Order: sequence, then structure tokens, then C-alpha cells
Amino acid sequence: MPRPIIYVLLVLVAVSLVPMGLLYRANHLPKNQPRLQVVPDMDQQFYYKAQTENPFFADGVTMRKPPAGTVARGMLAADDAYFRGIARDTIFVAEIPATVTRPMLDRGRERFNIYCAPCHGQSGNGNGMVHARAQALGEGTWTPPTDLTSQTVVDRPAGHIYNTIANGIRTMPSYGAQLSPEDRWAVTAYVRALQLSRNATPADLPVETRAALGQ
Amino acid sequence: MAPDNNAHDQGQSPGTGPDHHDRFVFPKWTNRLREAVAVAALGGVVYLVVLVAGVFSPQNSAIGYAPEQPVPYSHSLHVGELGMDCRYCHVTVETSARANVPPTATCMNCHKTVRTTSDKLAAVRKSAETGEPIHWTRVHDLPDFVYFNHAGHVQSGVGCVSCHGRVDRMEVVEQVAPLTMGWCLECHRNPDPNLRPREFVTAMDWVPEGDPAELGARLRAERKISPSVDCATCHR
Ligand code: HEC
Ligand code: HEC
Ligand code: HEC
Ligand code: HEC
Ligand code: HEC
Ligand code: HEC
Repeated sequence: MPRPIIYVLLVLVAVSLVPMGLLYRANHLPKNQPRLQVVPDMDQQFYYKAQTENPFFADGVTMRKPPAGTVARGMLAADDAYFRGIARDTIFVAEIPATVTRPMLDRGRERFNIYCAPCHGQSGNGNGMVHARAQALGEGTWTPPTDLTSQTVVDRPAGHIYNTIANGIRTMPSYGAQLSPEDRWAVTAYVRALQLSRNATPADLPVETRAALGQ
Repeated sequence: MAPDNNAHDQGQSPGTGPDHHDRFVFPKWTNRLREAVAVAALGGVVYLVVLVAGVFSPQNSAIGYAPEQPVPYSHSLHVGELGMDCRYCHVTVETSARANVPPTATCMNCHKTVRTTSDKLAAVRKSAETGEPIHWTRVHDLPDFVYFNHAGHVQSGVGCVSCHGRVDRMEVVEQVAPLTMGWCLECHRNPDPNLRPREFVTAMDWVPEGDPAELGARLRAERKISPSVDCATCHR
């Protein structure tokens, strides 16, 4: 075979190894490197998405808040008792200003276990996982979460618990951003249910259950 | 082979006759050309198949991406050990298309009083002070021409674990699903094995008692779940 042809073939073989090498490299990229993107057409389009930076606005945030003092239609939270837990002036409503139903309690339990249980524990006695860990670590700055079934909290008006969820209290952070007014009342109702169950006596049980327990 | 050729190769001076003079004669090495071309063509096809398969393999284009984050936040600690629910931080996952990455305030719920002097949390404290958000690096990213909706999936009872894997064991979030169209469609055609009761969507280690497909089929019938495979569902 003439030399030039051999050279050309050798070069071709060598060149054909390059993509394979690149492929091998792509396959063995460190995990923190972006993956291979072969046809990037329109994968990243030039519009701004939630939680991204936006140079157009002074604060650089894409997600805009409604201007101060404006209310969206149907969103006027006029009912002080329902939306702020306040009866009049600064007096909290004593009872939940909504009908407590089974679905509401179920919802309350679910939300409680998500947002409150890490600190207050699933039974509300203040012994959540985060509290236990903070104790184990000997964190001096950690305030023990209140036992929600204690007499202090039993005596609190419902509106006070609602307000605690919405705005926080002393060292407890606010959960207003995570829980809608509806959910806050559901959680309040569930806290009441926990208090009932923790402080119950046999006399509170239905007759049949009492009989079954031999009381 | 024509005897002429041999004569040529044996060094008989060409040009002894008019025939020899203007006839082109293939050199001897071309005798094996046909086989050589066949082998090369076969090799080329194999080469192309390997290349195309490799280049478009999700193994290269998606799976395993685990970028370093500005804060060494660990799901394995917060979810796996402390038992936190995904929704504590990813609040919007049930109600909107996007699952939000939590704002600094969420971290400060605890870190105002827990690990207050940790170096690992310096960036979080700085962000809380200045109001400048932490710049988390995206892990999962569909092409922008695809519409995806978390609420639709989570409300139908598709668990986070079906698409994100065992996040509760990840020190650093890693993409485990290819997020290709084929992958989406595979589940849309037969979602049964991935359906679970709504209350367990965030449970990472939940497994049904019996056959997942059987439970899924029941849940699907009960709640009339029928994922669409129309193009306009995801390309709108
Ligand atoms: C990050 C941990 C944490 C979480 C999560 C948390 N709390 Fe608390 N909570 C506390 C601490 C700490 C206190 C005690 C505050 C103090 O005394 O400084 C407290 C106190 C309370 C009190 C008693 C306030 C009073 O004195 O009347 C109520 C009621 C309460 N929490 C309800 C809730 C509810 C409902 C949730 C879920 C929405 C919740 N908490 C979530 C940490 C937490
Ligand atoms: C304490 C808050 C917290 C909890 C609880 C939590 N996450 Fe996260 N998650 C984060 C933060 C912060 C990030 C962004 C940084 C990162 O990617 O590690 C994140 C990122 C993610 C991502 C990657 C997002 C992307 O960029 O593609 C996924 C997926 C995810 N979380 C799933 C889960 C799941 C599933 C659970 C429940 C098992 C969960 N998370 C619980 C805080 C949390
Ligand atoms: C519900 C409480 C809670 C929330 C919310 C929370 N953490 Fe933590 N985090 C903890 C606890 C408790 C520890 C300590 C665990 C240990 O070291 O054993 C910890 C430890 C850490 C550590 C390791 C610190 C060290 O020095 O080892 C980092 C980093 C961290 N968290 C980041 C975050 C980020 C980022 C967020 C917000 C997305 C967040 N955490 C939200 C409770 C929380
Ligand atoms: C059907 C599959 C699927 C399920 C179920 C699912 N995710 Fe996702 N998740 C995705 C996809 C796909 C993306 C990328 C979305 C994009 O790029 O637009 C994503 C992105 C995310 C992100 C990054 C932010 C965003 O929305 O782009 C977070 C955080 C996240 N998922 C958390 C969760 C949590 C928590 C759950 C469970 C409650 C969950 N996901 C359930 C498929 C899923
Ligand atoms: C593990 C199973 C599973 C995977 C994987 C999956 N889906 Fe779905 N998807 C479902 C189910 C179940 C529904 C709900 C159908 C219903 O409610 O009838 C759904 C519904 C949808 C809807 C309609 C939801 C709405 O609110 O309109 C869209 C859009 C969608 N999926 C997009 C995607 C995309 C894009 C992917 C791939 C990135 C994907 N899905 C992957 C199971 C899945
Ligand atoms: C369940 C959601 C879903 C449905 C239904 C769906 N697609 Fe897709 N499609 C995707 C996703 C996700 C991608 C991105 C895949 C990737 O990046 O690998 C994609 C990518 C594509 C692409 C490739 C674009 C490119 O340049 O890479 C085409 C073309 C496409 N889809 C066409 C269709 C057509 C035609 C249909 C209807 C028969 C359809 N799709 C239905 C989810 C879907």
C-alpha cells in the first residue's frame, strides 16, 4: 500500500479516537461538574424563572412582591377574629372561629407533624428530635420548646396559639409563611386535641371504651 | 487476474506496446480492497452506534450530577437523622409547579439558636444579616421547553422518592433519574407501581404491604388518576 494512504488511514484512526476519549471523559467527570449536553438548543431560554436572579430589578429578585398597601381581589383579610385571632383591641378570641371537623383535625395533624413536631415532638410535649439533638450537643443558646399540653398553653385562648403560629413568640420563629390562616386554625385545633388526649381521665372516655378497659 | 498485471509488476518496462501505454492497472494491494472496505464499514457503523449511544446516554447527560453547594447542607442529617419532613423546607411542593428551595429564614428558625458559631453556617448567618440570598446551585433542570408540575404529581400520590431517590441518605443532593422524555412516559403509561396514599408522599422508606402495582391500580381507580401522554401535556 502506498505510504500516503497508510498515513491518511493512521491519522483517521487517531482522529476517530478523539470523540471516544471525550466520551470517556464525560463518563468519568467528577460528580460536581455539569453533565454533557450535546444539543443544547432551547434548553436554556432567555426568560426569568422562579428563584433566579434578575438584573433588571434593583434588588435583583425575579419573583416580585405586590406593591405595599395593595390587596388582590378576594384576598382582603378583614375578619380580625379569623385572620388575626383577635376579638377586639388586643384581646384574643377564646375559641376557634370556625367549625372544627374531622378533616380539619386530620389536616391539623399532618401540618403539625411537618412544622411543629421537629421541636415540640409529635405528642406536643416539647421533646422533638431537634430539641433532643440540641440537648445532646449541649447548645447553650437553645431554648427548650414549651410543652404544648402544659396548663399554661391549655389556658391560652385559641387566638393566642393562632398568633404564636402566625407571628412567633419570644425565641420561637414564625410559621406564618408556611401555614395559611386556614391551616393555622387546623393546627390550633389539633393542639387542643393533643391537650385533651394528654390530660384525659378515664371519665372522659365513652362508656363502651371504659368498659373495655375494665374501668 | 489478468496476466498483464503480473507482467507489469514484474518490472517489464511499460510502454512496450500501445495497449500497455494507456491502460490503467490496479496495483496488487487493491486486490484485498473489497474486504478491507467491508471491515472498515462495519467498524464505522459500530463506532457510530457506540458514539451516538454514549453521547445521548442519560448516564452522561444527567444522572449522577451532584454540584457542590455554597453551604454544606446535608439532607442525610436533617431528614435522615432529625426526621424532618420535606415540606418543612420545600413548602410549595404540594401547591405549585415548582418546589421552592427554602429561604435563609427557614434555616434560621433553628440556626438562630443551634450551632450558632459553626463555620459551616457562616454563609447562612451572613445571608440572614445582609438579606442577600444564598446562591444554591440547581441540580435538576429540565429543558425550558418542557412543562413539569410538582403539585400534580404529589397530589396524585407520586412519592418524592420515585423521582429523586433516597434524598434522606444524600450528604449532597445527586440526580438519580435521567429526566428524559422516555423516563416520563414510562411512568405516565403505567404509574401503578409508583402510586401511594397521599399521606406517605414524602416518606422515603415507605413500602406498601402487598404488591405496589396492585395498591397502585386500586388508588388509580379510586382517584381517577390517568396521566396523559399527549404531547401538549408536557410541551405547551
Ligand atoms: C424551631 C423550633 C420550634 C418549632 C418548629 C415550633 N416551635 Fe413552638 N416554641 C418553640 C420554642 C423554643 C418555644 C418557647 C419560646 C420561649 O419561651 O422563648 C415555643 C413555644 C410555643 C408555644 C407556647 C407559647 C406561649 O407561651 O404561649 C406554642 C403554643 C407553640 N410554641 C406552638 C407551636 C406550633 C403550633 C408550632 C408549629 C406551627 C410550633 N410551635 C413550632 C420552638 C418551636
Ligand atoms: C431543612 C430544610 C430541608 C429539608 C427538610 C429538605 N430539603 Fe431538600 N433542599 C434544601 C436545600 C437548602 C436545598 C438546596 C441545596 C441543595 O441542593 O443541597 C435542597 C435541595 C433539594 C433538591 C435539589 C433541588 C435542585 O436544585 O434540583 C431536592 C430534589 C430536594 N431538596 C428534595 C428533598 C426531599 C425529597 C426532601 C424530604 C425527604 C427534602 N428535600 C427535605 C432544604 C431541605
Ligand atoms: C428544625 C431545625 C433545623 C432547621 C430548620 C435547619 N437545621 Fe441545620 N441543623 C439542625 C441541627 C439540630 C443541627 C446539628 C446536628 C448535629 O450537628 O448533630 C444542624 C446542623 C447543620 C449543619 C452542620 C453544622 C455543623 O457545624 O456541623 C449545617 C451546615 C446546617 N445545619 C445547614 C442548614 C441549612 C442550610 C438549613 C436551611 C435550609 C438548615 N440547616 C435548617 C437543625 C436545623
Ligand atoms: C414525577 C417526578 C417528581 C416527583 C414525584 C417529585 N419531583 Fe421534584 N423535581 C422533578 C423534576 C423533573 C424536577 C426539575 C424541574 C425543572 O427543571 O423544571 C424537580 C425539581 C425539584 C426541586 C428543585 C426546584 C424545582 O422545582 O425545580 C426540588 C426542591 C424538588 N424537586 C423537591 C421535590 C420534593 C420535596 C418532592 C416530594 C414532595 C418532589 N420533588 C417530587 C421531579 C419530581
Ligand atoms: C413516577 C411516575 C411519574 C413520572 C416519572 C412522571 N410523571 Fe407526570 N404524572 C404522573 C401522574 C400519576 C400524574 C397525574 C395524572 C392525573 O392526575 O390524572 C402526572 C401528571 C403530569 C402532568 C399533568 C399535571 C397537571 O397538573 O396538569 C404533567 C404536565 C406531567 N405529569 C409531566 C411530567 C414530566 C414532564 C415528567 C418527566 C420529567 C413526568 N411527568 C414524570 C406520574 C409521573
Ligand atoms: C410526560 C411528558 C412528555 C410528553 C407527554 C411528551 N414529551 Fe416530549 N419531552 C419531554 C421531556 C422531559 C423532554 C426533554 C428530554 C431530554 O432532555 O432528554 C422532551 C423532549 C422532546 C423533544 C426533543 C427536543 C430536543 O430538541 O431535544 C421532542 C422533539 C419532543 N419531546 C416531542 C414530543 C412529542 C411529539 C410528543 C407527543 C407524542 C411528546 N414530546 C410528548 C416530555 C414529554
